[in-house]
Amino acid sequence: MDFQYLFDITKYIAFGAGVTVLVFIVTLVFSVPFGIFCALGKLSRFRILHGLLGIYTWVFRGTPLLLQLFFTYYGLPMITNGAVKFSPLMAAFVTFIINYAAYFTEIFRAGIQSIGKGQYEAAKALGMRPRLTMQRIILPQAVKLILPPMGNEAINLIKDTALCSVITVTEMLRNANRVMSRDFNVGALVIAACLYLLLTFVVIQVFRKLEKHFAYYQIK
Amino acid sequence: MMDKEFMEILRTHNLHKSFGKLHVLKGVNLSVEKGQILSVIGPSGSGKSTLLRLLNHLETADRGSIFIGGEAIAREDENGNSVYLPAKEVLKICSRLGMVFQNFNLFPHKSVIENLMEAPIMVKGLPKEEVEQKCMQLLKKVGLTEKFDVYPGQLSGGQQQRVAIARALAMDPEIMLFDEPTSALDPELIGEVLETIKTLAAENTTMIIVTHEMTFAREISDRVLFMDDGQILVDGEPDEIFKDPDHQRIRTFLQKILEKR
Ligand SMILES: Nc1ncnc2c1ncn2[C@@H]1O[C@H](COP(=O)(O)OP(=O)(O)OP(=O)(O)O)[C@@H](O)[C@H]1O
Ligand SMILES: [Mg+2]
Repeated sequence: MDFQYLFDITKYIAFGAGVTVLVFIVTLVFSVPFGIFCALGKLSRFRILHGLLGIYTWVFRGTPLLLQLFFTYYGLPMITNGAVKFSPLMAAFVTFIINYAAYFTEIFRAGIQSIGKGQYEAAKALGMRPRLTMQRIILPQAVKLILPPMGNEAINLIKDTALCSVITVTEMLRNANRVMSRDFNVGALVIAACLYLLLTFVVIQVFRKLEKHFAYYQIK
Repeated sequence: MMDKEFMEILRTHNLHKSFGKLHVLKGVNLSVEKGQILSVIGPSGSGKSTLLRLLNHLETADRGSIFIGGEAIAREDENGNSVYLPAKEVLKICSRLGMVFQNFNLFPHKSVIENLMEAPIMVKGLPKEEVEQKCMQLLKKVGLTEKFDVYPGQLSGGQQQRVAIARALAMDPEIMLFDEPTSALDPELIGEVLETIKTLAAENTTMIIVTHEMTFAREISDRVLFMDDGQILVDGEPDEIFKDPDHQRIRTFLQKILEKR
């Protein structure tokens, strides 16, 4: 076994892992707040907004993420005659954010809806306005309920970042693939697998911590 | 004391409420004076909860008017339909009423003291130290000082309901509304909650209490309302209703309750 070689390809693949983590973080940072707003929109009284958001979540949850990536990166420049053209990484960010926000919208909506109406009534009886009630009473409780499904989505997101390789983003899988085809070495895939496992392990641990943090109370 | 009977702090006129086709309240006229304690009794489905919920705008009336401390949250237009003030103003006026629910509805993610402090700080904008001091005193009043930092889930039903009472009191309400405050409790926990309500009675707190605890209602009330089929059938002193009621409906109702025991 050539350790220098092993070290070099691990470094090369790990560099791709940096991009993986970048896509992961950027997606979460933007799609979580976006999802919260969409969820609140879905729970509001505005019919048209409901309809639009319904179509949005339906389309983005109902078509393959891979297709959406192709569309953003290859399709948009075509139909706009090059007016809208993203770099590979930018196309990945945009697509992932919009796609994941669609999932988060539904998760948040379900979380908010599972808080009983007694909580709203108690808050109102104390003179709290709807917005204050949402901020102080409903959302903090909904956070606890959505943590488990959010954990699942976060793990999916780590793995989904591999799809970026098809629009030439030099993330982890793409680098591993290159090594493999250059050196005919399946070890590169094993290294990538280990790095994915490491990343998902960290995500699992973080969510486990968060769930523990919220264990101090029970929602009936 | 002479003008006590003019100190009306709550009045409704011809209140009507329907849920779809179900006509639940059919013209309720009610006047409550400061310091009075009213019990509302009556068969299930007669509209007792709905009446309370109209008073603090958890439901909206179809017809009729509601005055709280002389201010109308809902007035009648020329056809008798209810016309409400803007929601913000209604909310403000209604915060003069405190509500205690059958199921407590404490905020599970907040500790006992935080439950009490939430509204005075966030709604009234009072300084934290002042609120905290006052809320600790309220906890003392309901006998739960040492539980100030635990979460509602760790309390018994009776304790939770006492916290809920203290939480409502923290907003300095002019009237306390209770909707069957002991119905969700195990029998051995009912006493402590009733005792707490009696403490408030001793301080001349104005209260409207929907209850199935007849002995308690008789003992504590200045007035008892018997509701039946969306109307106040009798509004009188406790003895009028419990001793030898004129109405056959009341007799049947009381008998049924006694049999259940
Ligand atoms: N939000 C609602 N939607 C539809 N129907 C309702 C609603 N709230 C109450 N009702 C109906 O209105 C009627 C009166 O209900 P209400 O809760 O006021 O009765 P109640 O006198 O409090 O009875 P109980 O002693 O059982 O609590 C019942 O038939 C009830 O099913
Ligand atoms: Mg009721």
